[in-house]
Amino acid sequence: MSPIQKLGQVFDAVQKAKAGATAFCTNFFPVELKLQGWIDHGELFGELRNGAAFFFRKDGDFWHYYFCAADAVILQREIAALPGLKTEPVITDLVGNESTLNHLLSVLERVGFRQYTRLQRMARIGRPESTTGCSQIVFAEKADCRAVMDLIENSFDRYGEQLPMLYEIESAIESRQILVASHDDELAGLLFFETQGFASVVRFWAVAEKFRALKVGSALMQHYFKTQNSVRRFTLWVNAKNENAIQKYQHYGYASDGLVDHILVNEMIRT
Amino acid sequence: MKSPVEILKEIRPEFDFTASSDFIEDGMLDSFDMVTFVSTLDKTYGISIQGVDIVPENFKNLQTIEALLRKSGVQL
Repeated sequence: MSPIQKLGQVFDAVQKAKAGATAFCTNFFPVELKLQGWIDHGELFGELRNGAAFFFRKDGDFWHYYFCAADAVILQREIAALPGLKTEPVITDLVGNESTLNHLLSVLERVGFRQYTRLQRMARIGRPESTTGCSQIVFAEKADCRAVMDLIENSFDRYGEQLPMLYEIESAIESRQILVASHDDELAGLLFFETQGFASVVRFWAVAEKFRALKVGSALMQHYFKTQNSVRRFTLWVNAKNENAIQKYQHYGYASDGLVDHILVNEMIRT
Repeated sequence: MKSPVEILKEIRPEFDFTASSDFIEDGMLDSFDMVTFVSTLDKTYGISIQGVDIVPENFKNLQTIEALLRKSGVQL
C-alpha cells in the first residue's frame, strides 16, 4: 500500500475498479472535503489490485478499510490477500438496507471479520413547527477544542462511531458546526452537526454525566433546529442498541429510514 | 414510464428537484440516494448504467441526468 497524495489518485483507482464491473460493490462513500482532509494529514493509503481498489485510513492505533470491487468474488479474493488484515487492528463497515447486505457480510466474515456493532440511520423531514433558542447555547470557540474532543471520546465508541480527529473539530468550530453549553466554565454538553444545503446531519450529541439533570441536551437540540432555518432533511446515525438515544431522537421527530451500517472488526481487535 | 424527476421525487419527496441546479451542493442527494436512484433508473429504462458513470458530476441536476440516460441508450 502507498500513501495517497492527491484526490485524483483516489478517483483513478475507483474508476479502475469500476471499469467493466458487473456487480460493483463498495463501502467507500467519501465526501470530497473529508477525503481531502485525510490526504492533507497523511492518513490515507491505497492499493490497487486485480479488479479492486482498497483504501486504508489510519485512525489512532487502528485502520479503517474501504473497498471498491468489481464484484463480491473479487472482493473476497483480494481482501483476503491484504497482508495487514492478519497483523493490524482493522475496522470496516457495510452500509445499505439490511436485506441487501447479507451476502457482503458473509464475504467479510469469511476473510476474518466479525460483527462488532450496528448503526441505524434516522431522519426527520422539516424542522419542528416551534423551536426556541437558548441563550446559554453558543457556537464553540477555538479554546473549547480540547474539551469538545474529551467529551466526544468519553461519550462515544471509538471503534463504532468514527470519532473526529482534533483537526476536524478545529475545522468544525471554524465553520460554526459545534454548539456547546457550559456550566461554571465547564463544558456541559455539545451538538456537532454538518449542514450541506438543505440537509443536515447530527454527528455527535452528548451531555457530560454530571450535567444530565439540567436539560442541557434538550436545549442543544432545540437551538440546533432553530439555527438550521433552511434545512428540509435532518439525519443522524445512532447505535441500534442504544434504546435511550433512539427514544430521545424519536421525541424530536426522527424515525428510522431503513439504512443500517454494520461495523466489523478483525481478530486483532479484541473487545 | 416515470421520468427522472418523478423517480427523484419518490426517493426524496421533501425536495423540489426542478428548482435546483446542483443536487449535491444543495444536499438533496447523498451517496446512498445515488445508489438507489441508479438502480431505479436501470429498472425503469431497462438499462445498465456503467460503474464508471456513477459519479457525482452525472447526478448534479436534471440536465446531467438526462445526458447520462442518453449516453446509456435511452431516447428521451
